[in-house]
Amino acid sequence: MSDLRETLKEQIIEQLNLEDLTPADITNEGPLFGDDGLGLDSIDALEFIVLLESNYNIKIADPSEGKEIFHSVDSLAAYIEKNQ
Amino acid sequence: MKLVASCKISNQGVFLNSKLVPNTKSTETNWKKELYTKTGVTYPKFYKMDALAKLAFLSYSYLDKALKTESYADNDIALLFANAASSKTTDLKYIESYKEKGSPSPSLFVYTLPNILTGELSILNKWYGENVFFIEEKFDPEFYLEQINFYFSKGAKGVLAGWVESNDTNEECFLFFVENNGNELTIEELTNLYKS
Repeated sequence: MSDLRETLKEQIIEQLNLEDLTPADITNEGPLFGDDGLGLDSIDALEFIVLLESNYNIKIADPSEGKEIFHSVDSLAAYIEKNQ
Repeated sequence: MKLVASCKISNQGVFLNSKLVPNTKSTETNWKKELYTKTGVTYPKFYKMDALAKLAFLSYSYLDKALKTESYADNDIALLFANAASSKTTDLKYIESYKEKGSPSPSLFVYTLPNILTGELSILNKWYGENVFFIEEKFDPEFYLEQINFYFSKGAKGVLAGWVESNDTNEECFLFFVENNGNELTIEELTNLYKS
């Protein structure tokens, strides 16, 4: 399933316009949000919702789940694998 | 009005007080990322910024090495920025996001106003003073000096001023910091600083 994680990293860079980052700059397990991660914030959470809908046809039923789902590439991949 | 320091950056390098900082000239397309790495600053939000905000952030990161702003109160410093093209580059990307890709991008929308960069610098430094971003045809030293004196008349003790531009043919940022004391900075001196 590592391919999904690599694909996700490319999609995150594209969707969030992180043009100076490469997939190698993003770890599987590291936090995506906050200053300990990629510095993402609530605006970027909206981008993740669009990313999941447009690329994986997944709609998040409960927005309160977002924090857990969008924590890392690993958590995003796990959610996609579970819901596809 | 005393000039404290200035910084100009482009892919031709970083010029701090008109002197080239070694190893800052680059031919790479991702030269801003190279510069960010060289600053030694850890600020993950850098990667989220559009080109205009990155230019201002990078230029300030170098200028900051020549400043001592800790002695100012939170609302003592005003920010005065301008450029000719506003946020045009990001505006076009935002239009593309909903016309070509089918979904308006929230992360691009945030940067469809150029004054987001003054907000970035204010948040970074926890400054609460006045800030403004003008659209001007070109860098106009006389305009800057008039506006800076206006800020001083309203109580500002220091002004961080800048001209920052990002378009298909030109990416540059010129910052200078002035204090409300000392000798008068002249139009000619400011013109020469910008051109140097």
